[in-house]
Amino acid sequence: MGVITISRQLGSQGNDVAQEIASRLNYPVVCRELINQAAIRAGVPEVALATIDDLGLFGLHPSPEARKAYHHAVQVLMEEFSADGDVIIVGRAGQVILRNHPGVLHVKVIAPASLRACRIANQQGISLEAAGAQINASDRSRHDYLRRFYHVRWDDPELYDLIINTARLNPGTAACLICQALEDFGC
Amino acid sequence: MTDNDARVIITNNPNVQQITSIDFAHSSEKLFAQILDYYGIQWEYEPHTFPLEWDDDGNIIEAFSPDFYLPQQDLYVELTTMRPQLITRKNRKLRRLQEIYPQVNIKLFKRGDLRTLMVKYGLDQEAGLITGSEAQKREI
Repeated sequence: MGVITISRQLGSQGNDVAQEIASRLNYPVVCRELINQAAIRAGVPEVALATIDDLGLFGLHPSPEARKAYHHAVQVLMEEFSADGDVIIVGRAGQVILRNHPGVLHVKVIAPASLRACRIANQQGISLEAAGAQINASDRSRHDYLRRFYHVRWDDPELYDLIINTARLNPGTAACLICQALEDFGC
Repeated sequence: MTDNDARVIITNNPNVQQITSIDFAHSSEKLFAQILDYYGIQWEYEPHTFPLEWDDDGNIIEAFSPDFYLPQQDLYVELTTMRPQLITRKNRKLRRLQEIYPQVNIKLFKRGDLRTLMVKYGLDQEAGLITGSEAQKREI
């Protein structure tokens, strides 16, 4: 039973990589529903919005108690998904929560900031400056999330089995490499 | 009026709506909808009305329609300006709503300077051109 966690930067095509793997292995991709289910289960639905809000547009500041309940629910849900197996978990600190699970492959998808800004600008039809601002805010938010709630550095390479730079590799090639690594895990 | 009657919710429009087809009561509501689209969060605009007070004949004399319902989060959202008088009035309504409908999750959002942030991130110029379902395909 294969389990893959994917950490990705905004504009790194990490979601495309996840979808490519999903189509090859017929695994579901779990991302947003993990956030929503955890928040609902913990009885703090507004924390889902605060979590999704990488750019800080909503201006939400959930209480420490609400955060604690949410993070506990995330951990429980992620353990459940992992136990069921054959799943791709995107984001939500899967590389930390499941780091001691021997059968789980942890992947990070990255790309140079300038390239990511170009991709976002093209994708959204916005200026490079605005795309760069989104990337800076998103990187900061994801870095802070890992540091604040899990006490690790997002860019610590030891958290990952595989780090893939999509500057010159397309999502299909990246997915192929990840599937090969998963196979070598014996899954 | 029985307790069960008090829990009847009037549904205005159960369908998920799109920004372009909606006549928002306030520009900040449209901005908020644009942000929800950017994040790929499903939303409905004023889909439900909650009766809050009835007269002796059982007629509704006060009701409350939260601005948004977010089905994936099971959360209602009400936007308000920063004026303390209005916040106080809306807080009273929210308290009343939660007394009568304790199962309903609702969050009061104080309108900050959304437009400045949206311009910074390039969202104000383009968010109105895309639909919620298109936005959900994006990488975020």
